[in-house]
Amino acid sequence: MLALLPQLVVSGTSTGMLYALIALSMTVVYRATTVVNFGHGDMVAAGAYAVFVFGLGFGLPFLVAMALAIALLFAAGFAAQRMLLQPIVAGPHLSLAMMALAIGYTLRGALRLQWGNETINPSRPYPQDVYLFGNVVVTTDDAVICGSVLLLLAALFLLLQVTPLGKVIQATFQSQRGAALVGINVPLFHALMWGGGAALGALGGVMLSLITPLTPDLGQWTLVQGFAAMTLGGFGSLGGAVAGGILLGITEKLLGFYVNTVFIEITGYLVPILVLMLRPQGLFGRRAVVRV
Amino acid sequence: MRIGHAIIASIAMALAIPASADSTQGITDATIVIGNLGPFSGPSSVFTPLNYGPEAYLRYINEQGGVNGRKFTTVFADDSCNEAKGIAAAKKLIYEDKVFMIMSNPCSGVAMAIKPMLVQDGVPWIGASANPKISRPVSPSIFHTTYTGIESGRAMASFAMGKPGTTKIALAMHSDDWAHGYCDNATDYVKSHNGEIVATTALEHGATDGTAQALQIKASGAQAVMACLYQPELIVLLRELQKFQINVIVLGALGADFDQVVQAFPNHDYLNQRFFQPYQFKAKIGSGPLKKFHDIFVKYLTKDELPKVGEPTNFYYFGVPLAIVTVEAFRRAGPNPTRESWEKAVESLKDFDTGVLADTETFGPDKHVGVEKMYAVGLNAQGQETVYRSWGDALADSE
Repeated sequence: MLALLPQLVVSGTSTGMLYALIALSMTVVYRATTVVNFGHGDMVAAGAYAVFVFGLGFGLPFLVAMALAIALLFAAGFAAQRMLLQPIVAGPHLSLAMMALAIGYTLRGALRLQWGNETINPSRPYPQDVYLFGNVVVTTDDAVICGSVLLLLAALFLLLQVTPLGKVIQATFQSQRGAALVGINVPLFHALMWGGGAALGALGGVMLSLITPLTPDLGQWTLVQGFAAMTLGGFGSLGGAVAGGILLGITEKLLGFYVNTVFIEITGYLVPILVLMLRPQGLFGRRAVVRV
Repeated sequence: MRIGHAIIASIAMALAIPASADSTQGITDATIVIGNLGPFSGPSSVFTPLNYGPEAYLRYINEQGGVNGRKFTTVFADDSCNEAKGIAAAKKLIYEDKVFMIMSNPCSGVAMAIKPMLVQDGVPWIGASANPKISRPVSPSIFHTTYTGIESGRAMASFAMGKPGTTKIALAMHSDDWAHGYCDNATDYVKSHNGEIVATTALEHGATDGTAQALQIKASGAQAVMACLYQPELIVLLRELQKFQINVIVLGALGADFDQVVQAFPNHDYLNQRFFQPYQFKAKIGSGPLKKFHDIFVKYLTKDELPKVGEPTNFYYFGVPLAIVTVEAFRRAGPNPTRESWEKAVESLKDFDTGVLADTETFGPDKHVGVEKMYAVGLNAQGQETVYRSWGDALADSE
């Protein structure tokens, strides 16, 4: 049985990369606005459907359809923040979380209205090949997902660490009051981060559509995994979200194979319980300190 | 004592009067009101073709003039496949809309939840939900005109074990009543035919990956997999089995549409002579005797009721026998049907050919599931969709 360990780790890493992407997109919104977007899973699903519509519906090449889907979700996220969240931003935190949840359910309802009575099987834009490394099987899907997420991470790293825009983002992440004092338009920043989070989520949806049939409830599962990865990595930590996602993907494969397959579904629920009890700040988060 | 008896008799009469009056509820001189209950919203709305198939047939019958001068009027109600919503929707159909009977109802959980109400009020039910406990033991007003989990589970296992030397079976299933309805009966069949369940794996709704399940199946040495899964998860499992080139045959349950599953594999060589499903119909979808029903769906259903892409799928056809039996029972019940006479009419059906299903319908006072025999559908060595009576025994296209 141990002979299958490398395979489980490789497959878990591929799945975990997807979780990482979703966790990362949730973290971007959380870091910028301190709101956990409970509607994020449905944005992921909307991204998956959007690429399907642009691709199959309008006959556009996959990369164009993907770019349009990401742009559409960016616009949707931006508009949702400006029109629905900004007006209540001074209200209780719970109202913001409920609004995010409501946005997600509305998106899901719209998807069900159009595609509720069918399962969509999007076709891949590339042939699915299988590569053998010893006993370990790697598919084109694995390579595309891992490669895309790694590229994105590299681009994000460069954006945040090297460019002036990245420094603005980091500064605003650290102190919104300070950012406002130096002239940064914080409400616009929030809207841009909501757009960015939704766009990253859409990319997650695009990746997901390569490996799984589309149903309007696709987002439910991804929200739980994204939230668990965020918790494991540490709330608000971009690197933690990535590490958390990959660890979660590997953990569920190992528990599922070596203990029982029922653990695959509940790993996403068990992880937050254990992390919040044993290390509330997660693996890479900072312990919250309140100055009194 | 006499006073006591008189009081009891009065109460009994008072209770009896509405009951007898109710037996013609939903029947007027010109119409028969049918309640069509199903998951028109929510995650299970993929099953609504089971509601639309019979509705198309009723519209077709209406255009022929109806039955004994009456036309069918359908009241749709949404249960979202949720028990609480289903009870509320059924109450509305029975007590507000005053339907004669409830039809379709693809969701087993809802069907089980509303069954006590139906039995108590004597409301006829003909549904497509798979849970065998709905119609077993027999309740006077409850009928299955389609296959339950017992018939389907047995068909899955018997087809797989019909392949010479196949005795080691793995299960891949959801952890819900629906999946147990298939896999438990398949398991019973396997064990009673000297087979062995070598692995039981869970793959839950919404899963996007089945690596651990596929590797467990591989490690178990299984020769066949009973996949009691809905369509998205069945596709996920098949992709993983293909990825690891695991040499097993896979029998899917009726929660998935065969054609749509195959469509998910642009290069479906791996599925050839490997993926099968119990098959309910007497011919290929949309061809031979089923062509008539294809034309009925296309003509009588609206754009919103038909698939957004492609032809009417398996579930549309699977729902039709509900309406065919319902209509035939009204014909037999004569010009003044009551619930009792309609139920007797259903029970009078013997070897009744719906023109759709692989088996004929036979009911009786002690038998409220009309069909038993099923075929299997799969791809032959050349990748052509083929209907099999049993392993290796293909039905000719002309049959």
